[in-house]
Amino acid sequence: MNTELMKERWRRNWYKFSRNPLSILGLAVVLAIILIAIFADFFAPYPEHAFVFVDFKNAKRPPCWQYLCGTDMAGRDILSRIFFGFRYSLVMAVSVLSVATPPGVLLGLVAGYMRDTWVDIAIMRVADVFLSVPSMVLALAVCSMLEPTLYNAMLAVTVMWWPWYTRLVYGAASSIKNEYFVQAAEVTGASTFHILFGEIFPNCLSTIFTKMTLDVGWVILIGSTLSFVGLGAQPPTPDLGTMVSDGSKYIPAQWWISLFPALFIVVIILGFNLLGDGVRDMLAGD
Amino acid sequence: MNIKKYVAYRLISSFFVLFGLSLLIFSLSRLVPGDPARLALGPMAPQWAVDKLRAQLHLDEPVYIQYIYWVTNVFRGDLGQSLVTRRGVFNDIFEFFPATFELVIFSVILSTSLAIILGVTSGKYANSLWDNIVRVTSYVGIAIPSFVWAIMSVFIFGYLLRWFPTLGRLSSGVVMPTKVTGLLLVDSLIAGRLGVFRDAFYHMILPGTSLVISRLAQEARITRASVVENLHKDYIMAARSFGIPERTITLKYLLKPSLIPTVAIMGMDIAGSMGGSFIVETIFNWPGLGRYGMSAMLSNDINAIVGVVMLIGVFFAFMNILVDLITAYLDPRIMMKLRGG
Amino acid sequence: MYAGIIAIIVIAAAGYWLMQPAQEPEPAPVPSEPIVYRSTWAWPTRIDPAVGSDGSSTAAHPNLYNSLVRITPEGVVGPELAESWTTSNEGMTYTFTLRQGVMSHAGNEITAEDVVFSMDRLLGMGEGLAYLFLPYIDEVTAVDTYTVQFDLLKSFGPILTVMPNFFVLDKDVVMENIAEGEYGDLGDYGKEWLMTHDAGTGPYKVKEFLLEEKLVMEKYEDYWGETLDVEGFKFVENAPDIMEMIGTTEPITVRTMMSRMELERTDSWQPIENLEEMVQTEGVEMIGEVGTSLLNLMMHTNKAPTDDVHFRRAMVYAFDYETVVTDIFPHTTLVKGVVNEVLPGYTPDLEPFRRDLDKAMEELEQSVYYDQLDEIEIEIHWCAEVPAEERISLLFMDNMADLGISVKIVKEPWLSMIETMADPELSPNVVVVYNSVHFPEAGGDLMRYHSESAPTWEQNEWLLDETLDQMIEDALGTVDQAERFEKYGEIQEYIYDVCPTIYVLQTTTLRCVQDYVDYPYVEYGEQVSGFVYKVPLGFRTYYGLYTGVNQP
Repeated sequence: MNTELMKERWRRNWYKFSRNPLSILGLAVVLAIILIAIFADFFAPYPEHAFVFVDFKNAKRPPCWQYLCGTDMAGRDILSRIFFGFRYSLVMAVSVLSVATPPGVLLGLVAGYMRDTWVDIAIMRVADVFLSVPSMVLALAVCSMLEPTLYNAMLAVTVMWWPWYTRLVYGAASSIKNEYFVQAAEVTGASTFHILFGEIFPNCLSTIFTKMTLDVGWVILIGSTLSFVGLGAQPPTPDLGTMVSDGSKYIPAQWWISLFPALFIVVIILGFNLLGDGVRDMLAGD
Repeated sequence: MNIKKYVAYRLISSFFVLFGLSLLIFSLSRLVPGDPARLALGPMAPQWAVDKLRAQLHLDEPVYIQYIYWVTNVFRGDLGQSLVTRRGVFNDIFEFFPATFELVIFSVILSTSLAIILGVTSGKYANSLWDNIVRVTSYVGIAIPSFVWAIMSVFIFGYLLRWFPTLGRLSSGVVMPTKVTGLLLVDSLIAGRLGVFRDAFYHMILPGTSLVISRLAQEARITRASVVENLHKDYIMAARSFGIPERTITLKYLLKPSLIPTVAIMGMDIAGSMGGSFIVETIFNWPGLGRYGMSAMLSNDINAIVGVVMLIGVFFAFMNILVDLITAYLDPRIMMKLRGG
Repeated sequence: MYAGIIAIIVIAAAGYWLMQPAQEPEPAPVPSEPIVYRSTWAWPTRIDPAVGSDGSSTAAHPNLYNSLVRITPEGVVGPELAESWTTSNEGMTYTFTLRQGVMSHAGNEITAEDVVFSMDRLLGMGEGLAYLFLPYIDEVTAVDTYTVQFDLLKSFGPILTVMPNFFVLDKDVVMENIAEGEYGDLGDYGKEWLMTHDAGTGPYKVKEFLLEEKLVMEKYEDYWGETLDVEGFKFVENAPDIMEMIGTTEPITVRTMMSRMELERTDSWQPIENLEEMVQTEGVEMIGEVGTSLLNLMMHTNKAPTDDVHFRRAMVYAFDYETVVTDIFPHTTLVKGVVNEVLPGYTPDLEPFRRDLDKAMEELEQSVYYDQLDEIEIEIHWCAEVPAEERISLLFMDNMADLGISVKIVKEPWLSMIETMADPELSPNVVVVYNSVHFPEAGGDLMRYHSESAPTWEQNEWLLDETLDQMIEDALGTVDQAERFEKYGEIQEYIYDVCPTIYVLQTTTLRCVQDYVDYPYVEYGEQVSGFVYKVPLGFRTYYGLYTGVNQP
C-alpha cells in the first residue's frame, strides 16, 4: 500500500468523521479528559488535595475563584479531586476493555469459525450464562461478594464484559467464514490459526473497534454506579462515583460537593459516546 | 419449525442457561470471605448459636454438597432463608416482586411510548430543528447515570418544586387496596378506589423516569434511525405516488416496520430496568426486589443474593422469548421463517 | 389528524388530573382523622424481641411488648409486668410477682408460664440481646400462676438494669404460629412469623409490616396501663393512633418529607449539615439527646510502638479533641475520664486528656521508640460503613505529624475489620470504633477491657491483664450498688494509668422533629445545653407518651 493511498484513506475517514460536528466535539472532550488525566498533577490547582489531606478551616467552601468547584467536608479542593478522578475513570475503562476484549474476541472467533460443533455450543452457552442477567445486576452481585476495592470492581465489570465481544465477533465470524476468500484459504490448506487471525480477524476489526469506543462510556457509567453504592473505589481515592455518593448527603446546602463530580461523569460519558458514534459512522461501510 | 416448537426450544435452552447461572452465582456466593452466619447474628451472639446457623445453612459442607441441597430445595419452592429479613427468600421475593414489576412495566410503557413519539417525529422531519433538539437531548440523556438523575430529580421535583412524592409507593395513611395482583395501579382499580390509583401513579413518576431516562434516549435514537431508513424505501414512495394521505402512510406503512428494532431492544430495556432498579429503588425507598437485592448485597445475605439474581435471570429469559414472539408478529418475514421452517 | 388531536386532549386532561397535588389521599374508614406519628430509621427492623438488637428494633420492642421491669423517668428500676420482686440467696435468686389480668393483643392473660417460655426462647435461640443473659441465667421456673423465679449461674449486680431488655411473649400465640425449623418440637420457635407479627402485650400492635419499607403499628385500645402518667404508663391524651417506622435514612428524602410535614421525627443518622438545613424549615426543630457511647481510638498495647505507655501517652496528648467536637462532630462533648460521664458509676476524679504538645513531647522523649521515630509508621483503621470516621483518621494523621510520627490510614469494611481485630498479629496499632454500653452503668462500658473481649471488635487494646479481669469480674458480681460503683471507680483509675485508648468524644444523638408533636425528652430529660437533653438512662422511646395535639 503506497503512502498516497494511505493519505487518501485517512483523508476520506477524517471527512466522514468530521461531517458531524458532534463527533469533533466528542473527540475534543475525550482528548481534553485524557490530557487532564495524564497530567493531573500539573492541571489540578491543588494536587495534594487529591488523596489524604485535611484543612477543616476551608471545609465546605462554595465555588469561588480560589476553589472553582468549592471544597468538600475535609476542605479538599473538588476540582483537583475531579481531575484525579478522570484518571481512575479512564484506568477503569482502559483496563476493563483491554482485559475483557482479547479473550472475548478469541472465543468469538473460535466459536464462529467452528459453528455448530461442540466447541461453538460450549463457548456460546457459557457466554449466554453471563448474558442471562442484566450486566449491572451481575456486576453488583460479584462486587458485593468481593471486598470493595477499585480493582475488584474492575474485575467484576471485566467478568461480565467479555461475553458481549464473544457474541459480537461470533456473529461476524460465522458469516465471514462463508466468504470466498476464507474458503479459498481453506482449500489452499492454510492453518486454522492463519484463517482465524489472518483472514477472519482483520475483517472483524472495525466492528470490534467501534464497539470498544462506544463501550468506554458504558464501563465508566457502570464503574461510577458501583462506586456510588459503595462497592467500587474507596475513599480517599478521588473517584467520581464515590464523590457523588458522599456529597449527596449534603445536598442542597453543599450542593457543589456532589453536583460537579456528577456533571463531569456526564461529560466524560457524553464525550466518549459522541466519539464512538463518530467512529462508527467513519468505519461503517468502509 | 413451528411456533410451539420454537418456544419449546427456547424454553429448554433457557433452562440450561439458568442452570449455568445458578452454578456460577451460587459458587461465588459460597466462596466469599467472612462468615455470613456470624454477620447475621451480630458480633455478640454466642458461638454455639453461630454454629447452629452454620449447620442449618450447611455452610460447613463442601460447596458442591451445598449446591445439591440448594437445587433440591429450589424444586420444592424453597430458596433458603434470608439472613437479613430472617424469612424464606422465596416469600420475600414473592412479596417484593410485584412492586418492581409494576415500576418496570410503567417505565417501559412510558419510555417506549415517548421514544416512539420522539423517534417518529424526529425521523420523519429529519434534520429539522425539532430533530436536532431531540438528538442532542438524547445524547445527553444517555450519558446521565440513573443514580445522578435520581438524586437530581429528588432534589428538583421533590424538594424544590414539591411536585412529586419521593418515598415509597403510597402516601402515609393511605390504606393499601386489597391485594389481588400486588400491582397497586391494578388493585386500586379493582377496588374502585381512584384516589389510591392516583396516589400510586403519582409515586411512580420520579422513580419511573429515573429508571428510563437513558433507555428512553436510546430507544428514541433507534426508532429515529429506522424511520429514516424506511422513509426512503420504495414501498413508501409507491404509496405516496398513489396519493395515499401522509397520515395513513405514517401510521400504517411506516410505523410498523420502523418499530421492529425498537421492540427488539425492549426486552433488553426491561432487563436493564431490572438492573437499574437496584439503585433507583434504594434511593426512592421503593419496597421492591431491587431494594431488597441491594440491601442483601450490602450485607452479604448470600441466599437472598442468589435468589434475586436467579429470579431476574428467569424473568429476563421469559421476557426475551416474549419479545422474540412479538418481533415475529410484527415482521412477517420472521414469522414465515418460523412457520415454514 | 382529528384522532391525534383528540388523543392529545385526552392525554393532556389525564395529565392535568394527575398533576393536581393529591388533596386527600382518600380518608381511611375511621370516624375521626387518626393521629399519625412517622419516623425514619436505619433498616432492617427485627421486631422479634429475641432477634433484634439494633437501634430501630429496640425502639419497636418496648412499644409492642412489655418487660418485667423498666427504667422510670427518675432513672431507677420500676415495675412493669412484675408488680414486685425480691432477691434472695446472696443475689443468686430473683423472684418476680406478676401483675394480674394483663391481656395480650390476642386476648390471653399473661402468666408465669409465658415468662418462662419467653426466657427459654431467648436463651435457646441465643440471638439478639441474649448475650446479656446467657452468662448469668441458669433456670427460670414458674412457682405459681403469677410468680416466677430466676436462678442465676453467678452473681450479677446489674441484673435488674439489664432486665428491661427481656420481653414477654404470649406463648399460645407463638406456638400457634410455629413453622418447620431447627428447634425440634418447637419448630422455628415462631421466628418467621414474629418477624412481621407480634405476640405482645404492649401499648401498640403491628398493623402492617411492609418489609423493606415500613412498619405500621396501631394503638392497642385495651392496654392494661391504669393511669395516664408514665408511672403506670398508658397513653397520654392525643397519643398517636398510628405509628409508622419508615426504613430510610437517605438524607435528601428525609429532608423532603420533613419539609412537607410527611414526617414527624428523623432518624439519628442524618449528617449535621442536613439537620441544620432542616431546621430552616418553619416548625422543624432539632433535638439532641446525650448518648452513652464513646468514639474511641483503641491502641494495641501488645504491638510496637503502641506497646510503650509513654508512646501512647504522647499520642493521647497530641490528639486535637477540640477540633473534633467543634468542627467534625458538632454538639458532641469531650470525654472527661475513661467512661462516659453520664453513666452511673463514672468517677470524676481523673484529669481529662486534652491536646498539649509540650506534654506530648515530654512523654515521647521518655519513650523507648524516641530514637527511631523515622522508621515508625502507625497504622490506623477506620470502618468503611461510617464515612465520618475518615475525617477522624485524617485529623489523627495531621496531629501525629506534629510529633514526627507518620501514619498510614486504612479503610476497612466492617466485616473484615471484625476478622482483623480477632487476631493480635493482624490487629493494627489504632482502630477507630464506636463503643456502646451493654447496660447503663460504668461497668457496661468497662467490661470491654476484660480479656474475653480482646479477640472481639470491642477491644483492640489487647490488654490481656489478669489483675484487671479480676477487678471487672469482682465489680460486676457485687450486688450492692454503692460498693459496685466504688469498684468501678478503681477500675477507671487503673485503666487511666495504662492509657490504652484515645477517648475522642461522647456521642450526642441528634434528630429533627416537628414542633407540633410534644416530645417526652423535653418533659423527662434534663436540659444540658441549647436543645440537648439528658434523658434518664435506659428510658425507652414510648410512643404512647407523644402527643400529636397540634398536628395539622
